[in-house]
Amino acid sequence: MQKILIIEDDEIIKEELSTLLKNNNYVVEILEDFKNAIEKIKEISPNLILLDISIPYINGKSLLKELRKISNTPVIMVTSSNNETDEALSISYGADDYITKPYNPNILLLRIGAVLKRTNINSNILFYKDLKINISKGIVSKENEEIILTKNEMIIFSNLLNHQNKIVTRDELMTDLWNNLEFINDNALTVNISRLRTKLKSLGYDNIIETRKKVGYILS
Amino acid sequence: MKFSKYIKDNLYKIIILVLSYLITLLILLAFKVEKEVVVSLFIIYIITTSTLLIIPYLRKRKFYKDLTHNIELIDQAYLVLETINKPDFYEGELLYDALYEINKSYIENINKIKEQLKDFKEYIEMWIHEVKVPLSSLTLISNNHKNKFDKKTKKELKRLENYVEQVLYYARCENAEKDYLIKETDLKEVIKNIGLKNMDDLLENKIDFLVDNVDIKVLTDSKWLEFILGQIINNSIKYTKNIKSSYIKIYTKEEKDKITLNILDNGIGIKPSDLPQVFNKSFTGENGRKYSSSTGMGLYIAKSMCEKLGHTITINSKYNEYTLVSITFAKNKYYDVLK
Repeated sequence: MQKILIIEDDEIIKEELSTLLKNNNYVVEILEDFKNAIEKIKEISPNLILLDISIPYINGKSLLKELRKISNTPVIMVTSSNNETDEALSISYGADDYITKPYNPNILLLRIGAVLKRTNINSNILFYKDLKINISKGIVSKENEEIILTKNEMIIFSNLLNHQNKIVTRDELMTDLWNNLEFINDNALTVNISRLRTKLKSLGYDNIIETRKKVGYILS
Repeated sequence: MKFSKYIKDNLYKIIILVLSYLITLLILLAFKVEKEVVVSLFIIYIITTSTLLIIPYLRKRKFYKDLTHNIELIDQAYLVLETINKPDFYEGELLYDALYEINKSYIENINKIKEQLKDFKEYIEMWIHEVKVPLSSLTLISNNHKNKFDKKTKKELKRLENYVEQVLYYARCENAEKDYLIKETDLKEVIKNIGLKNMDDLLENKIDFLVDNVDIKVLTDSKWLEFILGQIINNSIKYTKNIKSSYIKIYTKEEKDKITLNILDNGIGIKPSDLPQVFNKSFTGENGRKYSSSTGMGLYIAKSMCEKLGHTITINSKYNEYTLVSITFAKNKYYDVLK
C-alpha cells in the first residue's frame, strides 16, 4: 500500500484529509513537527507528499527546495492562493503537481493517482485474474484471445481495477472520465458500462461488474 | 489667453480713460485751448492707454498660454505645474502658489487613498486565503460524511466558492498592479478544469458539454482565463436550465494572427435591448431579474480581466435561440520565434 504524508497545519483539514485517503486505501502519515521537517520526512519515507504552501516555521516552497536536494519523493503542492506565479514557482522548485483549495476530493484522489502512476512505470499493465490489461493500448487479453476497449471503457475499467472490491460511485467514474477530457453524460456512462460488461462477457467474465443501486459499481 | 477677451475684461479701464479724456476735452474746450494742444493730448492719451493695456497682456500671455495649452496636452492635468515656469507677475505668482498647494494636498490625498486601496486589496486577498481553509474543510467533510450531507450542501459550497473567487478577481483586476503572468497555456487543460468544476451542475441539468478542437496553446494567464470561462459557463448553465436537449459547446477557430475561443449555448438568449449592456457593472437585465441570484458582476469582471490580458471578449445572441461568447487571443509571432 502506498504511504502518503500530509503536511498541513489546519487541524480539521488534516483530519478529514486523512479520512479521505484512508477510505481510498492509502496509508496516511501526518507531519506534526514542522521544525525538523526534513528529518521527519526521511524517517517516514512516504511514497507521496501533500504539501501545503503556508505552514509555520518553514514555508512550503522552501521546504520543497530543501527536500529536492536530498530526495525525489513526489510532491503535490496544496495552496489557497490561486496564482499563476506561485504555481510556476512551485513547479520550478520540483513539485509534481499543484492543486488549489478548496479542491474537489475526487479530483485530488485522481491527481494523487496520476502522480503515483507516473513514478511507477509498471502501472501501464494491470492484471485481473488471468486477464492482462494494457491500459495505453486499450487491450484486454487472455491467453490467445484479446478484445479492444474504447478510451472511455478503459478509463472505467482501470478505475474499477484500481479499486477492486470497493464500491466506485458513478460520480467518481464521471470525474475520472471528465478529467480525461471525455465530457460524457449520464446516459453515455450507462451505455459504456453495459458495453464493457458485454466485452468482458465475451472473455468469459460475466457479471464481474456489479451494480450497487444508488451507490455505484463494484468489481469483484 | 485671447486678446479680444482680455480687452473685454479690461473694458472698464478703457471706459474710465475715455471718460476722463472727454472731461479733459470739455475743460480744454471751455478754456478755448488751441486745437493742436487738444490733438497732441489726444495722441498721448491713446499711447498711454494702449501701453497700459498691452504690456500687462504681454507679461501674462506666456504663462497663461502655457498653462492652458499644457493642461490639454498631458493626460494627468493635475501635474501641469511641473511643466511650466513660475511667472514673474504678482497675480501669476499668487495663482502659481495656490495651485502648488492645491496640487500638493491633492497628491497627498491620492497617495493616501492608493495606500488604503492597496491595504484593502491585501486584506481581501488574505481574507480570501483564510476563508478558503474552512471552505476546504467543509468540502472534505461533506464528501467524507455523505450520509449526513446531501447534494445540496455541495452545490451551496460551490456557489460560495464562486462568490469568493469573484471578489478575489475583482480586487485583482481593479488594482493597478500587474497581478497576472502571461505564458503559453494549454487551452485543453483550462477547459478540463472548467468542465470538472461544473460537472455536477451540467449533469444534473442534463446539459451536454460538447468540446471540440481545444488542443491548442494560447498566450494567457491560465488562472485568470479559468475564472473568466467559469463566469461564462455559470451564466450558460443558469440560462440553459429547463431547456430540452440543451448544450454548451466550446470550440476554437484558428486564424492567421489570432485564435478565437467560442462558448455557445442554446439557452434563453439575451434580448437585443439588453445585449449592449451585459458587460456593464451591476447590469442584470431581464434574464437576471427572472432568474434571480445575479450580481451583474461576473461578466463585468470577465471583461475587465480580458482587457488587462489583452484579449477581446464579445457576446452575440438571438433571443430564445442561442448565446455565443467569443474570446480572441492574439498570436505572438515573436514568441514563436523565441521558441
